[in-house]
Order: sequence, then structure tokens, then C-alpha cells
Amino acid sequence: MRMVPPVLTALIALSSAAAPAESAGPTDPQIAAIVVTANQVDIDAGKLAESNAHSKDVREFAQLMVTDHSGVNKSATELVTRLHVTPEANPTSENLKQGGEQNLAQLKGLKGRAFDKAYVDHEVAYHEAVLAAVDKTLIPSARNAELKALLVKVRPAFVAHLEHAKHLQAALTNKGA
Amino acid sequence: MRWLAPGAAGLALLTSLGASAAPGDGGAAGRTHQVTIEGVQFHPGTLTVRRGDRIVWTNEDPFPHTVTADAKAKATAKAGADARVFDSHSLAPQASWTYVASRRGEYPYACSLHPTMKGKIIVQ
Repeated sequence: MRMVPPVLTALIALSSAAAPAESAGPTDPQIAAIVVTANQVDIDAGKLAESNAHSKDVREFAQLMVTDHSGVNKSATELVTRLHVTPEANPTSENLKQGGEQNLAQLKGLKGRAFDKAYVDHEVAYHEAVLAAVDKTLIPSARNAELKALLVKVRPAFVAHLEHAKHLQAALTNKGA
Repeated sequence: MRWLAPGAAGLALLTSLGASAAPGDGGAAGRTHQVTIEGVQFHPGTLTVRRGDRIVWTNEDPFPHTVTADAKAKATAKAGADARVFDSHSLAPQASWTYVASRRGEYPYACSLHPTMKGKIIVQ
């Protein structure tokens, strides 16, 4: 377990880099790819946790992540299709993808409570990083009003997920103490 | 907490509530109130209605929610002879669910999937 999970480095870099030069932010096709990839990464981790998590609460959380992020991705895909915006892979989306794969590889080597803790710790850090990127980069950079509106609309889901994950994290810490 | 038949359970509950609410209504047609579920929140969060009114929740989020009266509401409802609590079960994106308010009282509720989502119905 690392201090900064690999999937997050791309988001952290994204959220800290864009502030000074607004014009250097991602384009709408790049934002679309970042959104879809960020959701997919969490869906993939959730699918693994649905079957591998030890605690029922963690399995239910994982199931919620799969459902909610699938819903967000369906909505995002429908919107960009309607807007004729083709998601364009970029360093951030590629890093997210690679980080997601590394996270999965790490989780696959764990069992029981160690799995739960690693998964939930990562979910807390992941949702914090996604929120920072949404607030500092994705929403300010989005040019199309509907794409911006979608980001604004789904933001509270990330907040709710983060609170939920933190609650689980605290419960797991207490159990382990 | 878990998946329940998305539309069927809610529809069955709606039908039974709708039918049984009529006698207590004194024949007056109730108003219909809308609660929008969007951004992982109930809008409005607190709604005051009169007995016989209909409340329609519509899920505008791209993922499921529930409208589930919490344990406190159950305790309140049990004080009456006709104990009744509400639970929409899983409400799909764009789906609506209707509850007819038949008993006075305060009914705190939440989304059983997203525990941070809370609302309250006050029936006068």
C-alpha cells in the first residue's frame, strides 16, 4: 500500500496543473475520455470488490459504485454521442487507465480484511482526487454547456460516495484496532 | 438495501396505498406534490402536505435511488392502528413513485442506497 495510489497521480497532476493556465486545460473530447475512464476504473475495482470483499458493507458499497458509475457513464456516453464529441485519449485518461490496472493487480493479491482496507482506502483517495479534478479542471475547462452541466450534476454523487467510503474506512479501522 | 424488483414492488405498494387512502380523505381531492431527486438530494428536502395529498418522487439522477421511511417513522406509524411506512424500493433513472399521505405525522426518510440523502414528509 502506497501513500498515493497509482490511479490518482494522473488526477492529482491534472488538478494542480490547470489552475494557472486556463487555456491549457483539456478540451471537451479529452474531458469526455477522462470522465469515461475515471468511471470505468472505479467500475472495474467495484466488480472485483463485489466478489472479493470480506465485509458485507464493503461488498454493498462496491455494488453501489458499479451501479452509480455505470449510470454516470451511460449518461455521459449518451450526451457526447448526441453532441458528436468523440472521446479523445490523452495522457490523463491513459494514466488513469494504467493506474486502474495497477490498483486491480494490487487488490488481486489481497484477501479478507487486508483487501477491504486497501479497496476502501483507495476509494477514499480516488473520490477525493476525482472531486479535486472535477472542481479545479474539468468543470472550469468544459466548453460545451451540456457537458459542463453533466459534470455539475454528477459531482454530488462523488461527494456522497466519498462520505460513504470514509464511513467504511472508519469502521474498518475501528474493527482492526 | 439490496436489489428488489425495480418497478413492480413500488407499483404494488402504490396501488395498495392509493386504494386505502381514499376513505380517510373525506372525499376531498388531494393535491399532488413533486419531489425531484437530483444531485443525490431530495428537492425539497422537507415537504408539508395534507392528508390525502399525493407525493410524486421523480429520479433525475443517472443511477437508482430509493425513497425509504426510516426507523423513526416506523415507530411513529406504529402508534396508530393503521401502521404504514413507505419504501419505493429501487427507483430507476427517470422513474417516478407516488405515495398518498394518509396519516398525520412526521416521516423522515432516506435513500437506502445513499445514506447521506435525507428528506422529511410532514402530514398535517
